[in-house]
Amino acid sequence: MADVSARPRLAGRSPGEVVIDRIWRFFCSVRAAVYEIVVLTLIVLLGTLRGSSVPQMLADNVPFTKPIVTRWYAYDFFHSLPFAFILTLLSVAITICTINRAPGIWRTIAHPTVPTSWGFLRGAETSARLAAPADGPALTDQLTSALRRQRYRVLLAQKGEETHLYADKNRYAKLGTFPFHLALILILVGGIVGARYGFRDQQFIVPEGSTRAVGHGTDLSIKLDRFIDSYYQNGVAQSYQSNLVLLKDGQPVKTGSITVNHPMTYHNVVIYQSSFGDAASFRITDSAGHVLYDDSTPLGLYHAVYNPNAPAGVITLPQGYQISVIAPDDNPGNVPTNDPIQIQSGQMYVEVHKLGDTTPSTTRFPGKIINQGTTANVNGLNVEFLRERRYTLLQVANNPGIPIFILAAFLLVGGLAVTFYFPHRRIRGIIAASDTGAVAQLVPLAKRDWSGQRDFQRLLDELERTLGLSVTRQAGRATGAARLETAEADA
Amino acid sequence: MNGLVQLSFYCFTAASISLAAAAVCYVAYAVGRVRLRRTVLATSAGTTVTTSDAEFAPGSVSAGRFGTLLAWFGFVFAGLSVLTRIIAAGHGPSNMYEFSLVFVFFISGIYLAFERMYHVKQLGAIVLPITVGMAAYVWYLPASMREVDPLNPALQNQPLLTIHVSLAILAYATFAVSFAAAVLYLVASRREIAWLPSADLLDDVGYRAVTLGFPLLGLVIILGSIWAYRAWGAYWSWDPKETAALFTWLVYGVYLHTRTLRGWRGTRSAVILLLGFGAVLFTYYGNYFFGGLHAYGGVK
Repeated sequence: MADVSARPRLAGRSPGEVVIDRIWRFFCSVRAAVYEIVVLTLIVLLGTLRGSSVPQMLADNVPFTKPIVTRWYAYDFFHSLPFAFILTLLSVAITICTINRAPGIWRTIAHPTVPTSWGFLRGAETSARLAAPADGPALTDQLTSALRRQRYRVLLAQKGEETHLYADKNRYAKLGTFPFHLALILILVGGIVGARYGFRDQQFIVPEGSTRAVGHGTDLSIKLDRFIDSYYQNGVAQSYQSNLVLLKDGQPVKTGSITVNHPMTYHNVVIYQSSFGDAASFRITDSAGHVLYDDSTPLGLYHAVYNPNAPAGVITLPQGYQISVIAPDDNPGNVPTNDPIQIQSGQMYVEVHKLGDTTPSTTRFPGKIINQGTTANVNGLNVEFLRERRYTLLQVANNPGIPIFILAAFLLVGGLAVTFYFPHRRIRGIIAASDTGAVAQLVPLAKRDWSGQRDFQRLLDELERTLGLSVTRQAGRATGAARLETAEADA
Repeated sequence: MNGLVQLSFYCFTAASISLAAAAVCYVAYAVGRVRLRRTVLATSAGTTVTTSDAEFAPGSVSAGRFGTLLAWFGFVFAGLSVLTRIIAAGHGPSNMYEFSLVFVFFISGIYLAFERMYHVKQLGAIVLPITVGMAAYVWYLPASMREVDPLNPALQNQPLLTIHVSLAILAYATFAVSFAAAVLYLVASRREIAWLPSADLLDDVGYRAVTLGFPLLGLVIILGSIWAYRAWGAYWSWDPKETAALFTWLVYGVYLHTRTLRGWRGTRSAVILLLGFGAVLFTYYGNYFFGGLHAYGGVK
């Protein structure tokens, strides 16, 4: 007779409950998770190929794909809505799946089911029959001691004359999945925290002898005392070193040298050596002799319109002037006609424009060439070219997400190691009296798990050796190695 | 120092020859023997009828044993090649030539470890040809890459350079074994070949290799991130090499999840392992295609 007190599955539940249940089941579904990871993998692949020449090769060989390839290169996959969406979906799935699995996993660890059935034991892929002349309780004690010596936890339950046995080891390793999946979420959280609350200035330029403010809400500024670059005999760069002074509110708080891979850290701000270039130092005064500018400007961030090999720099004065500086052509292979101004080594070409002046420049070269150590009047300003210098290109960053990332890294690797290298091994069995004493039927819970089956066989070998029991193995299928060993023995 | 560089190359040459010979032996062992048996029968009418049938037998046990012996020779010489190269260079692998030397060493070593663990030599019929292919790639590289070049400033970070790169190649080597297991699994699950390992065993080999490689590759990505943070100010820049490694890691993540899915374990999982190794090769040879911050391979 049917149990009328049992609630049918969906009847009596509100539509809202049904929807929530369906959503919950969706996020708990491993199949859905696989599809989500596949979509994420495909987006990562497309984004990776975007940074390669592969799409271009495709366009070159299959012309009709050119429009697709153009859009492919233009689309920033890793900052796109679909990418953010799939990451969010996976994060939610991980969270819900973890909450869903946790009780079951804890039950397996803390309160496993001990009683089993003869039907289950007979239907197992692999089983073993251990016979002993001793009675049931004695055999139970022998098996329990032997299993515990092999680091198994042994739980027993009495059912009539039979003793039901459950043994397992590495049960806590099942928890390893939780720190691993938590780590994945923490990595995303760390990235969001870093992007939201940190900063990264990738083009922080400081000419030698100059000081530049870091900004970004800090009171820091960086002075470059000296830049030193060295090279191997074959011309390959050996080292880029910047000797810096870090100032807070104008006062030095830290000095030191930085090279690539050896940044300077002050509280949460980290200063990295990135690159370097050439700069030019100028002193600019107005007609009254007031100093409007006494600093260095980096060259190479711009180039002359007429010659891409002529590095250039720009100085913007608060008094409403913009000064363009053009350095000599740095490509000795260029023909002289590429450089119509004919700037020689040790010279700079300087133009001065008033900001807001809308008069079109009909004069091709309104500026002047200035020799190092000399002064020229350019459009009303006295421009003295002091000397050539170097500038250092730094990256200045503050990433509050780093501690979260480091924690996630430990959890990720630790969780994986525990999960993979401490597999949960389980055995069920029944010990009962027999005509000749007692018999134990044991099966491993290792369906289609070759390693689990092998570990069970090794355990049986150990039981056979240490307890002197008669062991009859009832394998569902021989292992490949065993078949091969047989083949080798026959050969 | 030049002498050590030459010695390294001579050791590599010896390794290449040993591993190529080992590959031949393993293939001979795995493919088995085919014997054609012809029977001539006399009929009552006085004529004869000839019948023939093919008799399949396991490959020679000696071929397998020679394969193992030669693989060990190759492994030892490859190790000597790597060791002398590191001494000569003063640093871990830093270009495709050095990466590939280490790859040859690690693949042969990982394979031999799995052979010892599982007593399965047939894997060698797949793994060793891959190793030989990698050795052939080393021969293909320009001779100028055999010279030791000093490290540019971005790579001057020991021990991170050695650990990061070595773990990456070790992970790729384990995935090569999983690939081999997947290939044999697909054969064993479709044809009843008595001397091939069981499908369950091969499935386990593939899984075990991935349980080794997946955490390793995760660690590689983490160490690379830490290094990027030390060198470039950001632990993740969506650089193509970084995302290619992530892509590979995700493919194996898919594999690990499908093993718990009914209907996905077995053939489909094995196919994913094949795709995974394709991802490994894509990431490893990506220096030929990628721009970005990882352009240190010395190849274009």
